[in-house]
Amino acid sequence: MFIINCPYCGEREQSEFKAGGEAHIVRPKQPTELSDDEWAEYLFMRKNIKGIQFERWVHTHGCRKWFNVVRDTSNDKIKAVYKMGEKPPTK
Amino acid sequence: MLNYTNAITEEKSYSSLQMKEIKPVMKLVIRGKKREFLSAIGKSLNLLLPTEANTSSRSDKLTALWLSPDEWMIYSNEILNSESNEYETENLLNKNISKTNLGAVTDVTDQFVLINMKGDKIFDLFETGSPFNFNDFRNKKGSVTQTILAKIDVIIHNQNQNEVNLFVRRSFSQHLFSWMNDSASRL
Amino acid sequence: MTKNLRVKKSNLIDETYKVSFKFNGITYYGYKGDTLASALLANDIHLVGRSFKYHRPRGIMTAGSEEPNAIVQLHNNTSRTEPNVRATEIEIYEGLEASSQNCWPSVNFDVGGINNFLSPVLPAGFYYKTFMWPASFWEKYEYFIRKSAGLGKSPTEPDPDIYEHKYIHCDVLVIGAGVSGIVAAKTSAKNGYKTLLVDEKPYLGGSTIYQNSEHFKINNQISSSWLEKEINEIKKIENLEIKTRTSVAAYHGYNFLLARENLTDHMPLEQRKNKIRHRLLKIRAKKVITATGSLERPLIFDNNDRPGILLSSAIEKYASLYGVACGEKNVLFTNNDSAYETAISLYQKGINIEAIVDNREEIDSKLIKEIEKNNIKVYKGYTVVDTSGYKRINKVSIMQLSKDGQKVIGSKISISCDCLGISGGWTPAVHLFTQSGGKLKFRDEDQVFIPNIYPSDQISIGSCNGDFTLDEILSTVPKTLKEFLNLKKTDYEDLEIKSSFNKSKRNIWLLPSDKVIGKTKPFVDYQNDATAKDIKLALREGFRSIEHVKRYTTTGMGTDQGKLGNMHALGIIAETAGSKMGELGTTTFRPPYTPLTFGTIVGRNVGEYFDIFRKTPIHAWHIENKAEFENVGQWKRAWYYPKKGENMHDAVQRESKAARDSAGILDASTLGKIDIQGTDASEFLNRVYTNAWSKLAIGKCRYGLMLNEDGMVYDDGVTTRLDENHYIMTTTTGGAATVLGKLEDYLQTEWPELDVYLTSVTDHYATVSVCGPYSKKIVSRVIPDLDFSDENFPHMSFKDAKIGKIKCRVMRISFTGEHSYEINVQANYGKSVWEKCMEAGKEFNITPYGTETMHLLRAEKGFIIVGQDTDATMTPIDLQMDWIVSKKKYDFIGKRSLYRSDTIREDRKQLVGLLTENPNDVLEEGAQIVADMNKSPVEMLGHVTSSYYSPNLKKSIALGVVRNGKNMMGQKLIIPMEDKQINVTVADPVFLDKENKRLNA
Repeated sequence: MFIINCPYCGEREQSEFKAGGEAHIVRPKQPTELSDDEWAEYLFMRKNIKGIQFERWVHTHGCRKWFNVVRDTSNDKIKAVYKMGEKPPTK
Repeated sequence: MLNYTNAITEEKSYSSLQMKEIKPVMKLVIRGKKREFLSAIGKSLNLLLPTEANTSSRSDKLTALWLSPDEWMIYSNEILNSESNEYETENLLNKNISKTNLGAVTDVTDQFVLINMKGDKIFDLFETGSPFNFNDFRNKKGSVTQTILAKIDVIIHNQNQNEVNLFVRRSFSQHLFSWMNDSASRL
Repeated sequence: MTKNLRVKKSNLIDETYKVSFKFNGITYYGYKGDTLASALLANDIHLVGRSFKYHRPRGIMTAGSEEPNAIVQLHNNTSRTEPNVRATEIEIYEGLEASSQNCWPSVNFDVGGINNFLSPVLPAGFYYKTFMWPASFWEKYEYFIRKSAGLGKSPTEPDPDIYEHKYIHCDVLVIGAGVSGIVAAKTSAKNGYKTLLVDEKPYLGGSTIYQNSEHFKINNQISSSWLEKEINEIKKIENLEIKTRTSVAAYHGYNFLLARENLTDHMPLEQRKNKIRHRLLKIRAKKVITATGSLERPLIFDNNDRPGILLSSAIEKYASLYGVACGEKNVLFTNNDSAYETAISLYQKGINIEAIVDNREEIDSKLIKEIEKNNIKVYKGYTVVDTSGYKRINKVSIMQLSKDGQKVIGSKISISCDCLGISGGWTPAVHLFTQSGGKLKFRDEDQVFIPNIYPSDQISIGSCNGDFTLDEILSTVPKTLKEFLNLKKTDYEDLEIKSSFNKSKRNIWLLPSDKVIGKTKPFVDYQNDATAKDIKLALREGFRSIEHVKRYTTTGMGTDQGKLGNMHALGIIAETAGSKMGELGTTTFRPPYTPLTFGTIVGRNVGEYFDIFRKTPIHAWHIENKAEFENVGQWKRAWYYPKKGENMHDAVQRESKAARDSAGILDASTLGKIDIQGTDASEFLNRVYTNAWSKLAIGKCRYGLMLNEDGMVYDDGVTTRLDENHYIMTTTTGGAATVLGKLEDYLQTEWPELDVYLTSVTDHYATVSVCGPYSKKIVSRVIPDLDFSDENFPHMSFKDAKIGKIKCRVMRISFTGEHSYEINVQANYGKSVWEKCMEAGKEFNITPYGTETMHLLRAEKGFIIVGQDTDATMTPIDLQMDWIVSKKKYDFIGKRSLYRSDTIREDRKQLVGLLTENPNDVLEEGAQIVADMNKSPVEMLGHVTSSYYSPNLKKSIALGVVRNGKNMMGQKLIIPMEDKQINVTVADPVFLDKENKRLNA
């Protein structure tokens, strides 16, 4: 069970949160103009990395805000958290 | 005339803990992001909304709890009359906030049950079912948290030394109150 | 058996407090403070059980949680019975009843003992090799294997005890209250850290607390007296919490640990009533100090498992802490100095030592000198090659070791004895450290694994970190603490320490014998009866990975997880395979460190608190009126209201008829309700629903269908426009939380530019739904001030209203196809509104109906239930709901997916109505639908999703999904059942009132 530092509420137990999959996948602005393959790329394709992964989490049982988490999936260490719309940390 | 049937009819008292529902208490959720929203609330209610996370503010009549960066709960400090559900504060905010498109005002008076807890075993009870770290919270008057107690979402407001107000959604309240009593009976 | 082997007063034992207990049916006496093991030993009982495979007699081996043999069943055939309890841990209390586990009919005469003589045909993997074929026979084999193995029995009655969970947040957690742990806890707490100190034993001080030798001193005080003063001091520190009888079971990431606090297991049964038995502590520590100590290693030689063979340190503990002599003729066998500590301790108490066998040759040790001064024979450079005595050891045979330690030389010497203490050196207890994700390193000089890389803010100190001697511990620990806790100094800077321990050790994993290995039984895992021979066999058969060898030989797979013998197993594998221990690694240590009861794990989540239940504001009325309830999500919903003598079918038929012929009333409070406000609210709804919302007039309601981005139906419900920028959305009961979550997700992450706010008001409103031809009459009596004329208040519209001074919202919407109204009122007035409707409707036969009737009524109209008629593979087109999908809107969630190559296939499963040939045949929901029974294999076209007998249509009706069903109108299909085939015709899913005349009736 992680401790996640919600960018709004501070450090809380993982049980207050839900994971929302890979971060920085933007919904296409004009889906109708995409081919089946392009749409499928957006809809289905997700990375599953051993190592540094960018993820979305939501503080379901707290402020209900979505935010991003950088997590090393090999040891579950959270390297950074940042708000939606903010740029991912570079290092 | 409609009868008023609140959720929790018992008051429970243990050696170092008392618990009861306080009603009717007006509760509103207000939401907004703009600077004008905050100032309009301040002007309308003579109450500054807390902008620091996990805190609250208070005027004579109202208490405001921080819930998220664009969400607060306002509740009345005094007990109202159950014969009417027209609230002056709500009407005022509808006029000054909703109608002016500054934000949203939603009546949640019966969405939440307010359980008032008094005594020095409050946090011992919470520790039997909440993962939240109350070490700092318990010493900080006015602090607010939204967390889980017995797998149920709750909002906890540290009113005073050895006194908290706990808000839980009405449909969960009887289950939670029963669970709390079960726990309290062994503290 | 009346021998009394008590030797002297001890701190722990209260000799004024006699306790009687039963073991295998016989009454014995012990003292308060005894463990079952110490009390049995005091009564000269060594034989306590039989081994798992060979049913060899086994005795108490240790004095702690690592015990492999002395495993007992408590209070057999009662509700409090518990298997696999370690006699070395359970404290005796008046009335304790324990019995041996692995024996039948009794520990003294055991039928399975014959396995011992059959052992040549019971090699490693015997069970796998013999009983795996034919596979179908396994169940039969298993029955007999289990019976003869005599595994413990689980209780058959409900657990009478109470268990609880507790979250603890602390700055520093110290695990283990031996000398290192005490020093750490005091240092941490005195420097302002909120500290928790836990130890699995009932007393503090670890093994140092009974160290009374002149050879070990701190500041010129005997180490135990020095430590006692420290303990008295820490008990007074305010921000230090001390919990004894508390064992840490699991150490997870982020310093999250689970510990079991044992509160009543040492009390007589009658004192346990209404008390919490175990408390599972869920500990979050900013820093963790592991001071779990070390476990003494046994030595591996032929017949090293007889009753009367104990770890040397256990013999010392029984003598010094419990005042019990384990034997009258003791022999010690060692490869290091520890056994001499035991010897000195025994000697001081007047316990006879026959000899000490030491496999080291030349050792310069003060401890040995003292022993020899007292004329105790020490055999240097010798090893034990065999033991004898069936139910108790009576002799050891020793021989001289060759220089390289690989074989024995010379002639055999026999020493008669009744107790043999063995000491193979010490293994750091790194279990918790490795559970936390820590990486070990192997230290060659004394052949131990010690902590190397820490995965979180934690440190291991003392002997669990490989510092075994008092002087090592007290010189290293303070330094480590200073750095770990960021301190300038500690109270332990200038201690004067005297320790006579010589660290030399001669480590031989498998001691040589004069016999070939095939003829010997050198046990490595006592509990699972795995010998060195089995491990060698596994290697010969080609197993290389230690994880595979473990499973094949079952080494380390007992309830003790091989705490004693795992290192030897690794050593023997490394030696045999010619690899290095450090490279071989260890098997995985998994939680729990010691077994937990299910009660502890479950805590209070039983009975009423097993799951959460939600109640509507009208719940009390349903109870008063004898409703049966159904669980919908976490809600308790009224299912149907049986009248006297009615079964479910009768009740539902009556309710359904009344709802269409006169009036029905339903508690719809569980529907999810989301308050939507903001200048972009209409645009937002356009994007989340398949149909268009911009033109919905204020005061009007509209049904909407919500899709996932993959085009599949996700939720549905009616949304009402309350004002220009204000809507209230209803969702399905089960979908309320997830829909709100999904909408928030889009608002926060994809469309943050939209000015929209969502607030859940599900619990704020009670929803009373009144339907049927008399609904208007009834509702207008309850709300007399509202104009209910069709012109003012048509179908799919809403009005603000008041009942007395209480505001409410009335919607004219229908899920039954009948003329109907929903009154939404603040929850605390809901029950009263319901009662007013009942009163007003009395003369119109108003009939409360539950969810079952609601499902039937909507099925008559062909309305879907998301989650029943749909799963995550149905598009609106599949549901024949094309009408609700806007062709004009540029985009909405899921739109693009509706014309993917897969979703436009004609032969997808589509929702259709099904009518049975015999109108009285009611289909089973979930039944398969086929066209041709002769085709092989029979092709499944779909399945039945909803099915009822309709009292209004007087026939059976059903909905189902059928491949290409849309184009099969009127076709005959077959529903094959176990005993018959039911013929059905594909029909329009709307069975009743296709023209919607009843809505305005």
